Amino acid sequence: MNWKIRLFEIPILAHMFTKIALAVAFSPRMEALLAETKRLVELFLSDLILIHVGEKTEELENEFQEVLRRHGLDIDRTTIIWKQGKPAKMILEACKESKVDLLVAGAMKEEGFLKYYMGSVGRKIIRKSPCSVLTLIDPKPETTSFSKVVLNGTQLEITPFVIAKGVVFSREVKAEQVHILNEIKMYGLQMGAASEDSEGEIAQTRRQLVQDEIDYVHEILKGIETNDLKINIKVTGGKWAIELGRFCKKIEADLLVVGDDQRLTFFDRLFPHDLEDLLSTLPCNLLILKI
Amino acid sequence: METLNHKEVINLLLQLATMLIVARVFAEVARKFKQPAVVGEILAGIIIGPTIFGSLFPAAQEYLFSSHPMSNIALDGFVQIAVVLLLFIAGLEVELQVVWNQGKNALKIAIASMVLPIIAGFVLAYAFPEFLGVNINDRIVASTFFGLAISITALAVVARILMDLNLFKTPTGLLIIAAAMIVDVLGWIVFSVILSLSESGSGGLGVWPTIGLTLFFTFFMLTLGKGLINKTLPWINKKLAWPGGLLSLSLASCFLAASFTEFIGIHAIFGAFIIGVALGDSEHLTEKAKEILHQFINNIFAPIFFLSIGLKVNFIAAFDPGIVGVVVIVGLLTKYWGAYIGGRFASLPRKKAMVVGFGLSTRGSMDIILGLIALENGLITEALFIGLVILALISSVSSGPLMGWAGKLKI
Repeated sequence: MNWKIRLFEIPILAHMFTKIALAVAFSPRMEALLAETKRLVELFLSDLILIHVGEKTEELENEFQEVLRRHGLDIDRTTIIWKQGKPAKMILEACKESKVDLLVAGAMKEEGFLKYYMGSVGRKIIRKSPCSVLTLIDPKPETTSFSKVVLNGTQLEITPFVIAKGVVFSREVKAEQVHILNEIKMYGLQMGAASEDSEGEIAQTRRQLVQDEIDYVHEILKGIETNDLKINIKVTGGKWAIELGRFCKKIEADLLVVGDDQRLTFFDRLFPHDLEDLLSTLPCNLLILKI
Repeated sequence: METLNHKEVINLLLQLATMLIVARVFAEVARKFKQPAVVGEILAGIIIGPTIFGSLFPAAQEYLFSSHPMSNIALDGFVQIAVVLLLFIAGLEVELQVVWNQGKNALKIAIASMVLPIIAGFVLAYAFPEFLGVNINDRIVASTFFGLAISITALAVVARILMDLNLFKTPTGLLIIAAAMIVDVLGWIVFSVILSLSESGSGGLGVWPTIGLTLFFTFFMLTLGKGLINKTLPWINKKLAWPGGLLSLSLASCFLAASFTEFIGIHAIFGAFIIGVALGDSEHLTEKAKEILHQFINNIFAPIFFLSIGLKVNFIAAFDPGIVGVVVIVGLLTKYWGAYIGGRFASLPRKKAMVVGFGLSTRGSMDIILGLIALENGLITEALFIGLVILALISSVSSGPLMGWAGKLKI
């Protein structure tokens, strides 16, 4: 098989995320989100950017200082950005200006981000974000354990990057099990075309389709330090976003890691595809990686 | 309800058995020579039809295929269903996500690969209607039909060739597949619009209402219709027998959509195709179910249809070397250059654009159906139809070797 895996194009992974940002809305869940972000900042030795969309008042400034103190955040490595305007637009603008690598967003059911951000603002951020986005569906003050991590291994241009970065992330968060899920593209069409063959040849085609996916992932993993990570490769025949969603629900995954190399538009919602399918269900915490 | 008598039932069963056996034998022979099954099935039809078997053993051929008119009507019903089902799986093969992922490049290639043959075919047929054998009374529609027929790509055939060449999953392979899918969708929309303009094709609703309904039906099925399918399929999968429930209801929905488009004045096959696209794009239609549908239709109904072509036309009596030559040359050159130019517009290097050009030149399924509809509607003559069939045979046989050759070129 003629794989075209360009590992040399993967950026150096020593610094997973140099700058991590969090949009602060002073909601009841802010504390949990800050705790989660602080953990990541410490894990990846990153700078922290706090973005607040709203008027800068003395009272809020004091509140921020109090929050930083309470969480024991390194003030020298923390920047607060104040913006006024439409929340999504301002958050994205701040991320772009500050060259943020990872934006942490909450997606809770009760209030705040799901309704406020996920309902409209949140989805806009995920769709149009210039940087990677970690969406936490249930942020906790004691922080979330990313024990079971699922990576999208489906053959896409961005996949070598996703697997490489996903493995490093899993290593750092001390995941117990990493699953890499691969979709055989157009399995039905390929097997339909193969139906002209004999029984043995059809079985061989089926085996080969599965083996090709496994080889593809192994080839990528060759160039990555996996340490003692337990990695399981699973091959499916459906649409990858849907299959990933189902698989995450089935194994009760803690984190799903996918890549995104294009900005989604209105047409993607009209004719939903891949990532948009995933965003409509959010089976677990979601890390969308962008190059 | 009128029924077939004893002899007619026997005759019908013998017809079907003969067709399936001969088609299978020739499909296997084609397979031995690494050719698509469709090539063998078409040749099988030519051999057991009036062209060869009818010339050598006229009495036997007449007994089998012309002695019982009622059996022939029943057989025609089978063939009609086969065509509808072929279009249904052609729709299932279209994956909008694949098209979407390949984006503008696939669109550029698909459009260029259609525009050039359509224009060339139209100009040629319009300028020389009597020579080519297009209906002079319906000249514009017939000429467009001819152009469209030589602009189609056979998705299933090209998929198989790409798999054999180990190119299916490469960027070039996916681009060819996505472009072929777009050609299919655009081709059938253009087809339905042309048919509604045809005097023989309009079902009485008028041209503009028919075109409006066609576009509305397409848009509805790919948006709200798909949503509806996504809501009902999980229930079907969960509550009904599997795959029995899914198979019977998906075929029922195919026939419903086909009858709707036939009712609004465009051909039944358009409805079958669009519902196939909507159903195939649903995440709840498993790949296993698609595989079952493929096997069931490709191995039972497709042979019946492709073989039936040879039963309808005498390929020697109606053969016109001039027409065949022109159709084959124009068809091959315009489709190849159209796709090649599209590839270059999509910034493909020359070699890849050549592979794409030869890939999209693959025919041998929908183009024949289109030609047959034109023949049955009196838009083209048998001689021109034979030209289209021979174009399909030559292109489906030559595409693979040409793609392989282009891929090895050092340019």
